[in-house]
Amino acid sequence: MKSMASSPPDQLFGLRNSFYVGAYQAAITSSQSLPAHDLSPDDLLERDALLYRSYLAIGSHQLVVNEIGPSAATPLQAVKLLAVYLSGDAANKESVVSRLQELLGDPAVGSNTILRLVAGTVFMHERDYAEALKHTSSGGTMELLALNVQIYLHMNRADHAEKQLRVMQQLDEDHTLTQLANAWVDLAMGGSKIQEAHLIFQDLSDKYPTTCMILNGKALCSIHMGNFQEAEALLLESLNKDAKDAETLANLTVCSLNLGKPATRYLNELKLSHPDHMLVKRMSSAEDLFDRACQAMA
Amino acid sequence: MLTKFETKSNRVKGLSFHPRRPWILASLHSGVIQMWDYRMGTLLDRFDEHDGPVRGVHFHATQPLFVSGGDDYKIKVWNYKTHRCLFTLHGHLDYIRTVQFHHEYPWIVSASDDQTIRIWNWQSRTCVAVLTGHNHYVMCASFHPKEDLVVSASLDQTVRVWDIGALRKKTVSPADDILRLTQMNTDLFGGIDAVVKYVLEGHDRGVNWASFHPSLPLIVSGADDRQVKLWRMNDTKAWEVDTLRGHMNNVSCVMFHAKQDIIVSNSEDKSIRIWDATKRTGIQTFRREHDRFWILAAHPEMNLLAAGHDSGMIVFKLERERPAFCVSGDTVFYVKDRFLRYFEYSTQKEVQVAPIRRPGSVSLNQSPRTLSYSPTENAVLICSDVDGGSYELYIVPKDSAGRSDYLQEAKKGAGGSAVFVARNRFAVLEKSSNQVLVKNLKNEIVKKSPLPIATDAIYYAGTGNLLCKAEDRVTIFDLQQRLVLGELFRPLLLNMLFWSSDMESVALLSKHAVVIANKKLVHRCTLHETIRVKSGAWDENGVFIYTTLNHMKYCLPNGDSGIIKTLDVPIYITRVIGNNIFCLDRDGKNKLVTVDASEYIFKLALLRKRYDHVMSMIKNSQLCGQAVISYLQQKGFPEVALHFVKDEKTRFNLALESGNIQIAVASAKEIDDKDHWYRLGIEALRQGNVGIVEYAYQRTKNFERLAFLYLITGYLDKVGFMCKIAGQNNNLMGQFHNALYLGDARKRAEILENAGQLPLAYVTAATHGLTETAERLAAELGENVPSLPEGKSHSLLMPPAPLMACGDWPLLRVMRGIFEGGLDATGRAELEEDAAAAGADWGDEDLDIVDASEVVANGGDGFDAEEVEPNEEDGEGGWDLEDLELPPETETPKGCQQCSLCCICCAYTRHACQPNLDSEIFSGWGACSSREL
Repeated sequence: MKSMASSPPDQLFGLRNSFYVGAYQAAITSSQSLPAHDLSPDDLLERDALLYRSYLAIGSHQLVVNEIGPSAATPLQAVKLLAVYLSGDAANKESVVSRLQELLGDPAVGSNTILRLVAGTVFMHERDYAEALKHTSSGGTMELLALNVQIYLHMNRADHAEKQLRVMQQLDEDHTLTQLANAWVDLAMGGSKIQEAHLIFQDLSDKYPTTCMILNGKALCSIHMGNFQEAEALLLESLNKDAKDAETLANLTVCSLNLGKPATRYLNELKLSHPDHMLVKRMSSAEDLFDRACQAMA
Repeated sequence: MLTKFETKSNRVKGLSFHPRRPWILASLHSGVIQMWDYRMGTLLDRFDEHDGPVRGVHFHATQPLFVSGGDDYKIKVWNYKTHRCLFTLHGHLDYIRTVQFHHEYPWIVSASDDQTIRIWNWQSRTCVAVLTGHNHYVMCASFHPKEDLVVSASLDQTVRVWDIGALRKKTVSPADDILRLTQMNTDLFGGIDAVVKYVLEGHDRGVNWASFHPSLPLIVSGADDRQVKLWRMNDTKAWEVDTLRGHMNNVSCVMFHAKQDIIVSNSEDKSIRIWDATKRTGIQTFRREHDRFWILAAHPEMNLLAAGHDSGMIVFKLERERPAFCVSGDTVFYVKDRFLRYFEYSTQKEVQVAPIRRPGSVSLNQSPRTLSYSPTENAVLICSDVDGGSYELYIVPKDSAGRSDYLQEAKKGAGGSAVFVARNRFAVLEKSSNQVLVKNLKNEIVKKSPLPIATDAIYYAGTGNLLCKAEDRVTIFDLQQRLVLGELFRPLLLNMLFWSSDMESVALLSKHAVVIANKKLVHRCTLHETIRVKSGAWDENGVFIYTTLNHMKYCLPNGDSGIIKTLDVPIYITRVIGNNIFCLDRDGKNKLVTVDASEYIFKLALLRKRYDHVMSMIKNSQLCGQAVISYLQQKGFPEVALHFVKDEKTRFNLALESGNIQIAVASAKEIDDKDHWYRLGIEALRQGNVGIVEYAYQRTKNFERLAFLYLITGYLDKVGFMCKIAGQNNNLMGQFHNALYLGDARKRAEILENAGQLPLAYVTAATHGLTETAERLAAELGENVPSLPEGKSHSLLMPPAPLMACGDWPLLRVMRGIFEGGLDATGRAELEEDAAAAGADWGDEDLDIVDASEVVANGGDGFDAEEVEPNEEDGEGGWDLEDLELPPETETPKGCQQCSLCCICCAYTRHACQPNLDSEIFSGWGACSSREL
């Protein structure tokens, strides 16, 4: 537990939490207002990594690629790789993966937590969950643990995700990531756990400025509980915050369909701005399948 | 022990609480009887007629009377309203120890060192019974609160119970046969009206005090053997039940507590002891350093006790009476007796939620002190002083409401204070290590966090935050970041704090002060109270409503405060919804008090510059009173105040203050005295409203000012007219001045001549080349013709022509502020109302004035005779024309004369000088006395 004894106040606390709850712009602003001379070199590095990851989250991939020079420290290099990966085409992606493998193999830097985090993220995008877990499962930071939870959830292994969550809870039950992971697991488990997830999102929205992420979380709980009206209201609020947010659009599509309202506009928007979103991909593959079935019948 | 009030004085031997008012009588060894207001802490009165120590004193239950008995063998009955001793009862032959009124009959019982107890009728002022039997000093005697019994204690080591049933019968039906018999018996045996029922023997030394239990057949006594004894009686006998040992010296006074199952005793060993009446064990001891205790008194209604000692007295209570409560959403959770209950504001329904652990009667003040509630988990934290500070956590199953039989095993823990900081987390203060333990609902420690300051208590301050109270400051501390978010350096003994519903403002309440701060603890305002602040709550508009012992008050965001209503008993506000104020009383009952919120809502609207609200409140509500007016004046809104005021003088002052000249004119007309016209003139002059200045001067007949005003405004023809009037009034100096203003040498010479100053007239005429006149005068003077200085040229001194002739000066821009236009309508409507009462004629006039002067104020030109009309109507235009009688052979040119007449007959003369209007106005004037233009 980090928060024992009388360690000095955690300067990066606000920044980290803003990043976790998806208040990326706030994270960027607050990272710039942090007094650099008060921070230790480690903190500085973490601050920069968080700053660039925030930029990545709001889609400014190129900015990150340009700003991180070749002489930057390993964590930043890792973030740059992530930026390249997220912005690039298939060929770039392959080179990123091989570069990552190379770095991970290097005993000097291979165990760096941010590098491993980036590796986990990239392999998760690659759907190579075994490879991802290879790098993340040894844990080390709350973020890695949270990523583990996500990976397990992607693998539909809620049981393993729950085990990871227990580990997180033992480390720091009140940590924002623990709370979030808890909510994710609860959502994945469904049933009576939804109520719990809803309370967590409610707490987060009480504590932090509401973000698309939190609103979507709340909306998801509402959808699970069958309150589509309430979910729609929350999602529209989220849409007001960011008109292009993929999750909001996807959830709105689902929600509208359930309410019997036209959803095509949201779907088209999603297709335009996020052509490789899961929902779009599934839609198109379903359409393909349908066409094929039609042809078979014809 | 919670000390409420303390006095320093000579030794206090007798005490008595007033049954209703917050007063207490203290009789002193010095012979003085003091009457104190223990709530305000003031000495109300002193009665100094006894010679020597006064040992007994007692208030009457209903009449404005009290009785006292002293070492001068006298019993005195006083009226405290008239501050007079009504009469003195003589009869005792030695010091009088105690006196007491009967609660029902007009009796006084007194105990004396002459070994007797006497019962007096204070209406007939006679002794109705002498109770003999004690064979030493009788130290105390008192009536039973319900039955026909008297208990007495004596240094003969006995306590006696007397039956006074016969005396009562005699009083109720005095014509009874028994009377004669009794009379005889009294003569022979000292009376059978009162007979000894029981003699309680058991004390080894003299008994100082004995008193009845208020409802049970019990007696408690205290004696010089340092023991307190408990006695029980039935119809036939009485016996000793138990002995309470502990006092180290003579027990001076002892009594049962009216509301709790305890016995209170005090002693010359400088201590007050509290005993459990059932278990007969000592509960608590309060000690004083140097003062021996002599007397105890209990309030007949309230939970108050008083004790007299060597150097004064103390008023105190044993337990806190503030119910622990916690507001959450639409409900308030509170503890009543041994149940946790809640009250729903919307339905006004009370529900018993769950039983809580009964506070052990091991010690006093163990009842719940604070409550904290987590709505999502339906969990309640109850903190109390048990075991030096501890908390209990109850998780209330949702469906158990109403099932009071369900007793849950609470999770307990030690800690100064405990409070929820998140849905499923609560913080517990660990004072020894000055840290907070954050626990989950399983009562497991999740986190420990050291506190930045030495903290006495913690309070909720938003999710994850705590407000920590230290001796010299309060801080808001973020538990997760371990960061101080805000600090307020102010040594306040914080008792309670209340967050506004938006969590933006917090009210910090201490014993005698209310401090309002924002969520970062930036200080906004502080209010000081002379008496205790009891509770508070925010209303939905951001006004803080709080109660003191006897008032309900408000505090606006800027620190303005005022009284909403007076309270008879202390109440604890839980919630304010509009005009409805929900509160808990000391018995844990929910009450709804409806108040008139218009005053503070009005002030709030003014403060927030919501003038539309202000307007509508002025129009619709019954706001009035000097307080509101002076508030508005003080806050710089005299023009608003103007609309509440009916009194013309106040209206006039407010109108001047706000520069509202038209209302000032209307008021001045109503008041019509010199001083007000004069002040109106000054204000009008300041604004440059020449018409009104002129009118004001005319009304006061201030010709000199008027003439000068005409001069500087360029109405030279009117100066000429003033000259004429001065002539008529035989005001030579004025006439001469005006002639000088006009530069009319001929006129001057004429005036001087008429005044008999022939040489001066001659000089004037000669100098200015009026040869004809000069010659005529020279002839008249004959020998005495003054010589003119040679070789000097002369010039006629002419006043410079004014730049802005004939008309108003540029008007000073009067800030009509926010109510421009808006209030005019209101103002007029109000005038109309007044007018309706006063009569239609006046109404028309008032309206016209307002209209007219509005035009004036707006600098408009469209001023015609119609608007000027009203003055003529009431027959008091400028001044009385009848007196004037202008000579027909006047030398002024004709046109000018018309003009001047018009200016006088019209209130506002400005336009009279415009040539094209002359004839019209003049013709109008002809018919002025009757016309209705």
